[in-house]
Amino acid sequence: MLFTVGQFGILAEKTLHFLLMLEKDGKIIDFNNRCKQLFPNSDETKGKNITEFIIDEDVTFFKDSIANLSDKSPLSSETLIFSAQEHGVVSIKFDFTYHNDLIYAAGIETTEEYKEHRALITISKLTKTGAWYFNPINNEMYWTKGCYAIKDLDPNIPMTREKGASYYPKESRARLEGYLDDLINNKKPYRYVEKIITEIGVEKWVKVVAQPVIHKDKVVFVNGTIADVTDQHNYVEKIKYDEETKHLALKGIQSGLFDHHIEKNEVFYSLDFRKMLGLPLDQDFVAEEVFRKMIHPNDVKSALQRHQENLEKKGHHYHNYYRLKNLKGDYHYYEVHGYRKKNDQGKTIRMIGNLIDVHQRKLNQKTISENRNRLQAIVNNGFAYTVLLDLEGRILMTDRRSLKIIKRDFNVDPTKTPSMFVDVMPLNFINKFVHTFNEVLKGNTVKTEVERITHKGNSQWLEAKYTPVFDDEYKINAVLVSFHDITEQKLAEQAIKEAHIKEQELSNLKSNILSNFSHEIRTPLNGIMTICQLILKENHLDDKDKLLGYLEESKDRLLDTMNKLSNFSEIDAIHENLTFEEFDVNYIVETSFREYKHMAEAKGLEYNLQLDESCPQASIDKNLFRPALNNIIHNAIKYTTQGAVNVTINSTDSEKNIYIYVKDTGIGIDEKNFEKIFDPLVQESFGISREYEGTGIGLSLSKRYIEILGGEIKLKSELSQGTEFAIIIPKCL
Amino acid sequence: MNILYVEDNKINAMVMDKMLSKNNSNVILAENGSQALKVVKNKTLDLILVDINLGLNQMDGCELLQRFRKLDILKNIPVFAVTAYAMPGDKQRFMNVGFDNYFSKPVNFDELLSVISTINTSAPKSN
Repeated sequence: MLFTVGQFGILAEKTLHFLLMLEKDGKIIDFNNRCKQLFPNSDETKGKNITEFIIDEDVTFFKDSIANLSDKSPLSSETLIFSAQEHGVVSIKFDFTYHNDLIYAAGIETTEEYKEHRALITISKLTKTGAWYFNPINNEMYWTKGCYAIKDLDPNIPMTREKGASYYPKESRARLEGYLDDLINNKKPYRYVEKIITEIGVEKWVKVVAQPVIHKDKVVFVNGTIADVTDQHNYVEKIKYDEETKHLALKGIQSGLFDHHIEKNEVFYSLDFRKMLGLPLDQDFVAEEVFRKMIHPNDVKSALQRHQENLEKKGHHYHNYYRLKNLKGDYHYYEVHGYRKKNDQGKTIRMIGNLIDVHQRKLNQKTISENRNRLQAIVNNGFAYTVLLDLEGRILMTDRRSLKIIKRDFNVDPTKTPSMFVDVMPLNFINKFVHTFNEVLKGNTVKTEVERITHKGNSQWLEAKYTPVFDDEYKINAVLVSFHDITEQKLAEQAIKEAHIKEQELSNLKSNILSNFSHEIRTPLNGIMTICQLILKENHLDDKDKLLGYLEESKDRLLDTMNKLSNFSEIDAIHENLTFEEFDVNYIVETSFREYKHMAEAKGLEYNLQLDESCPQASIDKNLFRPALNNIIHNAIKYTTQGAVNVTINSTDSEKNIYIYVKDTGIGIDEKNFEKIFDPLVQESFGISREYEGTGIGLSLSKRYIEILGGEIKLKSELSQGTEFAIIIPKCL
Repeated sequence: MNILYVEDNKINAMVMDKMLSKNNSNVILAENGSQALKVVKNKTLDLILVDINLGLNQMDGCELLQRFRKLDILKNIPVFAVTAYAMPGDKQRFMNVGFDNYFSKPVNFDELLSVISTINTSAPKSN
């Protein structure tokens, strides 16, 4: 059947088909009514290329579609989307027919189908998904472009089941293949999230879902999707990690999170904390009163006071501390730090923060403080001055006495201002200190002795002991310096030394005495023995009488020496037999003076006595005083060959003492021998000439006697000018 | 034989003089060091005897010996110490000072004379 032209014309105008006649490059020649909705201004449409009206994306498809049209291959089809203004986007599926160099296009609208298709494509693009199917009967595996994109694989490469499985890591491959087999054999759908390694080696996480298609109770087809869920997976992992971190963190610090609603008087405590304190676990909130009861009774008042102060102060911080009773009934120290949320009026309405168990820290602090106090007590009560220094020589610690000295002498307080030890020590310490300190830093313990002058001006000897203090790694971290007062020890040493010298002197003295006695005895003995020999050998000696005279003289001298020796040995007994009596000094001196008068006159000396009528009495033992005075007068006369011997009593120059002066114009005594002549039996010079023999014995006795009586003997003398002895005895008051 | 005896104790000087004169010696006495030094300049001597303790403020025998030793004329003349210092160690002390011999007081004359007899009398006898 053939339409007439008229019939065809009506048909062409009325049909829902879009009919177009185009030149072979796409230029529009003519179109039916239905096409008018595609062209905004249909009057000017003819002569324009159809590509001006279709969306850019479809231009290439259209050109490809018509490019190969020819008389031999006259048909093609393509869906083109027109951006028609009034109707929005219109999708039309065209069939193109090529005839006599013209293209006849007939299309139907597919806008609705297109929308769905587009949406699917968009979803697959945005969610990075792909679809696949598997035919278990012929083992055909099909992937959409999305599947290829996920695997970073060229979509032109044919897909097989084995190729698909190869993207999973070896260890999971068998398990995942098992799912597919299970689905095929047991109609069991599955889904999983697994890791894949893409064609270019990127690690991704994919979610796969598979569904069976069943015909006559048999799986004939498998439909599936695959989605790239790497981002979600990583995100979930991160959340899991964060959660765990938080969990571990909360467990680790043994603290309790709290959320205090001030107005409701309720507090939320974290689970761990509630467990720890034995609070009910099924209630999130605990009444404030319940909690308060757990605070140590001694801490309640101060804690509440601090609580109130905290709520009223500026800013948002909250800080408090108290002891809380735990499940076991022990009290632990807690510190609370929180953030205060305020309302518009600036009133705190809620606080969030944590309670930190600082029990161990408190105990440690207490131990440290106790140890420090104990150490300080040891240091303070020690017998030594103690100073602890750091490695630069700064004072870390001192005992109380040292601190007192440093404060007083240097006006600094090392407990308040860091002070170098060298700045607070006597100048004479410094050199030794620097040297010693360096020794100690090598790890040695060093002892030195130093002398300091106390603020009272006394000399104090200190033994300084420097000890390095080591830390756990055996490194020096401080130096302990202790000073022991060894003044007494030093004095004792000095005394021993002096005693030793005295002893030595005494021993020398002893042998000197013996030597002198020996000399004094042998000298006259020599005369006596030789004279005896001479007399015995010679019967007729002209000067026999003369010799006998010499013999007599020598004998007297020998006897005199022997008497003095016995006097000397009596001295020790004297002390026990003293009898003090009050005597008139004028009388007793005059008696002695008179005794030697004839001796002085025989030598032709002037001999005078000057009494003191005002002289008070003296309490003396006359058995000691008289020989002492006699001896001095006797000596004075003996050593004086010409001039005068004057004896003078003076009681007016001194308040307490009486002076008896015996002055001669004799040979005198060398000043360097003043001390010596009083030493028992030690005679001046190596020897004493005949006339002056034996003086040493006498003078030392005089001195000893007068000293026993509580007085003393003083001496003034000059060689060849004479000597003045002064016997000083206390007045009887 | 000319013998100088330096001694401050007159009795001891006198008895020594008497003792040695009996043995054909000519004894010259000096009371102290300065007298002795004068004597040695004027007399030719064979022996010198010196007491140690020559009195207060006086040159002692040891010092005198030192003076003698410096004199050329006494080069070969022996000098003996004759002293009452006779404690242990004294002899050694004086020998160390340089005396040629030591006699303690009281003097053992047998010993002294026997030592003197061994001395060569090179010097011509004095009048």
